[in-house]
Amino acid sequence: MGAAPPKMESGPPKVMETVIGILIPPACREEVLGDLHERYDGLPRYFLEACFTVPMVIASRIRRTTEPGLLLLEAMVLYLSLTAGALVSGQTHFLTEQNGYSKLAVLIAMALLALVLVDAYAGVAARLILAPAAALGALLFQFRLQASNPELAIPSFRMVLFGSLAGMLLVTALRWLFAPGDNRTTGA
Amino acid sequence: MAKSDSLGQFEQLVLTAILHLKDDAYGVTIHAKVEELARPKAASLGAVYVTLDRLEDKGLISSRLSDPTPERGGRSKRCYKLEALGERALQESAATARRVWEAVAEEWGKEIEAWGPRRPKWNPVRPK
Repeated sequence: MGAAPPKMESGPPKVMETVIGILIPPACREEVLGDLHERYDGLPRYFLEACFTVPMVIASRIRRTTEPGLLLLEAMVLYLSLTAGALVSGQTHFLTEQNGYSKLAVLIAMALLALVLVDAYAGVAARLILAPAAALGALLFQFRLQASNPELAIPSFRMVLFGSLAGMLLVTALRWLFAPGDNRTTGA
Repeated sequence: MAKSDSLGQFEQLVLTAILHLKDDAYGVTIHAKVEELARPKAASLGAVYVTLDRLEDKGLISSRLSDPTPERGGRSKRCYKLEALGERALQESAATARRVWEAVAEEWGKEIEAWGPRRPKWNPVRPK
């Protein structure tokens, strides 16, 4: 009988842990990855547990960082900005005749989703910089939509450009005034 | 300003787990204790995190990150502590549960004695 082999340290594969870590918002990444690592009991179980846990962690983080009142204000200023864009570029007929308001809603929903995710994943300081970037992302999404699915896109480039720039400025101003908080301590 | 309002059943379980675990209250241990308290029902780790976040927002608990440990892949634990508001909310919940128990026992006294082994779902701490 030989000596017992040294106990190997068991843990999830680094690649999988890295991928799961990217999905978890940074504010709770450390403890959630640590807890999952500590409970590691084979790859299938780890994967399943991560699949059930991570969406709830993201949802909880979104609930903590999203202020419904501010989000509503942002939706309103984006709608107003794009409507003003339609007036400036002489596209008012688009709003009334081609389901324009519904098409604006697609773009605004994308911008709001980007803002919600920025709030959940970025620190308080970074949010002010990333919020305009999120609005810019929605603008790029609009161009992509124009290429792939033109019936859902807004036809006028000038209208989208003016509306997005005005919306970006107003959203940034709103965020300076009513910055969403971060109520979690991170110190040891 | 956080205010003391009534707790949900799962919130009571999580607060009780934190109270019981004292300085060792973090995700894994809280989940294990909650599963033990909620038996035969299962509780997911994600549900525990969501509830911990909610309780922290209400000001009933507070948290801090501990030092990293090798068994967690060099990662820290987030340790939770009951705040005064949380202790008060848990006391109120326990008092309510006790009154419910006493009222039920008054009506179904002998039946409750017989529930023990057959009805494992109903297993509260007996009042003195």
